[in-house]
Amino acid sequence: MMEWIQNHPLALGGLVVWAAGLLWLMPGSHVKVSRPVVPGLILSAVGIVLLCLSVGKPQPEFADEVLFWLFGGGSLICGVLMITSRNPAYGALWFALATLCTCGLFLLRSAPFLAAATVIVYAGAVIVTFLFVIMLAQQSGAVAYDQKSSHSVIAILASFVLLGGIAMAIQSQGEQPEPISADQAPAGNPLSIATAEQPVGQLKGLGKSLFGDYLFAVELAGTLLLIASVGAIAIAPRREQGTL
Amino acid sequence: MSELLITLLTIGLVVAAIPGVCNYLILLERKMAAWMQDRVGPNRVGPYGLFQPLADGLKLLLKEEVIPKHVDRTLFVLAPMISVFTTILALAVVPFGPVEDAPSWLRFIIAPGIDIGLVFIFAITSLAVYGIILGGWSSNNKYSALGSMRASAQVVSYEIPLGMSVVGIALLSGTLNLENILTQQAQGGILAWNIWVQPLACLLFFTSSLAEANRLPFDLAECEQELVGGWHTEYSALKWALFFLGEYTHVITISFLTSIVFFGGWHFPGIAEPDSAYMFAWLVKLLVLLTKVFICILLIMMLRWTIPRFRFDQLMELAWKVMIPLGLVNVVMVMFVQQFQLSRLWLVAGSVSIFAAWGFLSATAKRAHLSGGKKRPATHTTGHGHGAHAAGHGAGGH
Repeated sequence: MMEWIQNHPLALGGLVVWAAGLLWLMPGSHVKVSRPVVPGLILSAVGIVLLCLSVGKPQPEFADEVLFWLFGGGSLICGVLMITSRNPAYGALWFALATLCTCGLFLLRSAPFLAAATVIVYAGAVIVTFLFVIMLAQQSGAVAYDQKSSHSVIAILASFVLLGGIAMAIQSQGEQPEPISADQAPAGNPLSIATAEQPVGQLKGLGKSLFGDYLFAVELAGTLLLIASVGAIAIAPRREQGTL
Repeated sequence: MSELLITLLTIGLVVAAIPGVCNYLILLERKMAAWMQDRVGPNRVGPYGLFQPLADGLKLLLKEEVIPKHVDRTLFVLAPMISVFTTILALAVVPFGPVEDAPSWLRFIIAPGIDIGLVFIFAITSLAVYGIILGGWSSNNKYSALGSMRASAQVVSYEIPLGMSVVGIALLSGTLNLENILTQQAQGGILAWNIWVQPLACLLFFTSSLAEANRLPFDLAECEQELVGGWHTEYSALKWALFFLGEYTHVITISFLTSIVFFGGWHFPGIAEPDSAYMFAWLVKLLVLLTKVFICILLIMMLRWTIPRFRFDQLMELAWKVMIPLGLVNVVMVMFVQQFQLSRLWLVAGSVSIFAAWGFLSATAKRAHLSGGKKRPATHTTGHGHGAHAAGHGAGGH
């Protein structure tokens, strides 16, 4: 751990600077007068650039590289805007945009089905439900306690320790991890190994892999969701007559 | 010609054609409305009112754009753009002609060979509701907020039967690629059209797509009698028009999907077969597909003046208590037939009997509900039903 820190001062510095900038941007208890946003923005930008520089270039092709930075950078910026916006509706919208950018990254890694499914589930259903609840709850404008973030210091500390841990784990595998090519997908899943007529990212391969190699995980997740929805119906308040 | 040039040409063609087509569809809708209500309809501008859409378009362009002071400006301007952008983007994977037989300078699909075509369309059209939600929320108006709340609940609910209805098709044809689904039906002849084996799925698909597009009888989000204009109350001029451009584009997409997925696309026995080799066969196939789409659009327009608008609880119960269970039963039936290698004729019998059984069940439940309701206070018999109410509607109304 200490060794990693000594070897990667750039990554650590980037993380710390970014966290400080984010902390500045967080909407605190000062609802009436806002802090100027510029210092926070500059700090976050510098931190993100430092962290990116320390990670190295992942994509060889030019178009890939442009798209990677577009989607990756877009999701980071949208994420920051999501947690720093005062208005919950805007927060939900930035969340939707961050999800869309992440789906762009999935597409770049040849996972179109995952991308489309994420758009349907997150952008199309979960965030729409968020917006529904926000509209239902705050018809007369946001109240003061909804405009500030609570426990921002602890939250930022925890999330950046997690981010640092992930960065450390990725970098400890080698400075420049080889991108996985279509013909050498991780073996051990006999049905998921890509072949010439069934390259990575095709729906057929995905289905075979999900309902072959990972059948138990899929069934387990399905059962869990079923239990959760039955539970939700069970604890929902009920009236004598009819529905809610 | 280079691939890039053809792609740009196709995109240009689609984007340029959509507003014009929508304009004339609106004229057609007004004429249909007039015909069904025994009126004359628009007939002042040009012969038979044929220039009415041009006059309307010009009016919408030149009208004053009012942005009220109390709105959230960014989202207010953004909402109509999202509405149009998402609906047009969904057309990218829809083949609007015979893709294999297209002349060299034209391609009948913007993005060919997309493996997840249908899922892509559902993903993009599920984003279209953001236009309505943001428009209603940013208007800062009670009616608009109510309209967009209705829209969000409605779209989230109807996405489930919509997705469920094509699972059967995906299982039967083994692909989600629209071009492949079309080719399989064309090669099998008229009896291979998916409508014969999946009639119930077709009904569910068509109904829930109408709900996704906010068309009558599912237009509770704009419901003029209760909500002034619903989510577009504060909109005027071209921004208002953009919302409706989005809605009509959605109608076109639905019609294309219904014709392609269930009615064989450009295939028609005798005149447009996969091995037709006469001159301009591609033109005939294109016309066959467009005719099917046109019939579908006419049906949607006639539905508008035939079925009255649902009440909101009926709408929700139709989705959750009728269409989702029916969709699930349909999927289980297809899985059963596929697993045991049964004849596909079982699917026909199965679909019809499931539909009949559901109708019988809901009619019985409705009768029990009504006779049991006598003991209760009178207010409860009309209010929130136990599913029997909406179930009766679902079975009887469609």
